[in-house]
Amino acid sequence: MSEKPKIIVFCCNWSVYPGLQLSQLPPSAVDDSGVEYIITMCSGRVSPELVVEAFANGAWGVMVTGCPPGECDHEGNYNMRRRMTLLINTLEQLNICPERIALDWFSASEAAKLEKAVNKLTKKITEFGPINSAVEQG
Amino acid sequence: MAKPKVAFYWCASCGGCEEAIVDLAEDILKVVEAVDIVFWPVAMDFKKKDVEAMEDGEIALAFINGAIRTDEQKEMVELLRRKSGLVVAFGSCAHPGGIPGLGNFHTRESILERTYRTTQSTVNPGEVLPRTVTEIDDIQLTLPKFWNTVHTLDQVIDVDYYLPGCAPPTDLIMDAVTAVLEGNLPEKGAVLAPSKTLCDTCPRSDSKPEMLRIKDLKRPQEILADPEKCFLEEGLICLGLATRSGCGERCINANMPCRGCFGPVDGAHDFGAKALSAIASLIEVDDEENTSIDEIQELLRTIADPAGLFYMYSLPSSELRRSR
Repeated sequence: MSEKPKIIVFCCNWSVYPGLQLSQLPPSAVDDSGVEYIITMCSGRVSPELVVEAFANGAWGVMVTGCPPGECDHEGNYNMRRRMTLLINTLEQLNICPERIALDWFSASEAAKLEKAVNKLTKKITEFGPINSAVEQG
Repeated sequence: MAKPKVAFYWCASCGGCEEAIVDLAEDILKVVEAVDIVFWPVAMDFKKKDVEAMEDGEIALAFINGAIRTDEQKEMVELLRRKSGLVVAFGSCAHPGGIPGLGNFHTRESILERTYRTTQSTVNPGEVLPRTVTEIDDIQLTLPKFWNTVHTLDQVIDVDYYLPGCAPPTDLIMDAVTAVLEGNLPEKGAVLAPSKTLCDTCPRSDSKPEMLRIKDLKRPQEILADPEKCFLEEGLICLGLATRSGCGERCINANMPCRGCFGPVDGAHDFGAKALSAIASLIEVDDEENTSIDEIQELLRTIADPAGLFYMYSLPSSELRRSR
């Protein structure tokens, strides 16, 4: 398949994202691998609506990253985990494979772990291919 | 001066929206005094050719209820769009997709297979499925094509206003008719109902604790709900926190939690995602720091059929629109 996988990674501006930026990210926050990082102010700000919108606009997979338990000042990570889990269950009924949404914890210094997780997700999603987009009249 | 012309039409719907017009009771006399009803297949004997004979834009206002899932419905709403100055999407099925929109969990093939072959009550020895064209001797019989995907009205034609509800309550219908007659209409595209959420106007909101958390999730058939208490406090999922108000709290007053027929409030694009986000945020987990994702998953699996629950009235208008 010649088409590149499109993956959206939501990253918290106050934890793993700054480290990732120092380690590898070009200034545009978009590299040519098809992985796009979206910076949020907390994983708790990643609304399920945004994830659904990503899929509706052609994303093959989405990763939502949060601070490890006990490390988020706002407990947004727990909210995110509950919301995304319920979203995964919901989207599964719409034939969006649960494995297309990855949730994981990353500390501020774990940019390398994040890169590894993104690569792993990319590999898996490449095998899945894009989501069937057919919503035709008739 | 000639009275403004009004048309009513139904597509994929149950007929409840037509009932809602009849439920205007004596008020319907005020409506017919002020307008000429020129097309209303369920109640009056006008034909498609009568509409075709009209000038473009001759009908002042068309109320169209129902979702769109056949070629015939598309043809009729396109005709009414051409002949009407204003089109109002009337009721949940025309607005966010409604109950027929749940068809988007399935495909045309699976729906026809189930309906015409495998239900317990089906007797179909020839295994005949509906076809768009059937030849019998020299006669050609045709049926409109049944679509694979249920669409909302505004996915098929341009819609001026939305009147939400399953079915829209009579006060909102009268307000809409009055607004049209008086030329007192909001900006195009507006939903003709309050922009608050149902929680804001709920008669039980006083019983809602300051910090609402859901501990044990329950389903309506499992408990006898306290008629005074907030459903969420009792562990029953109620979608009033994401749903537009204006319904008159009919379900709440019948002691049933909200299922979202009024659709989202202004600014929300995907009702189901909004609703599930709100519910997930309220769920209380003991010692969450030491809880694994598998335990969270186990807890949330107690919400049966989440897509059917959160997208009950809005699947065709959701971002994904159907199963993939």
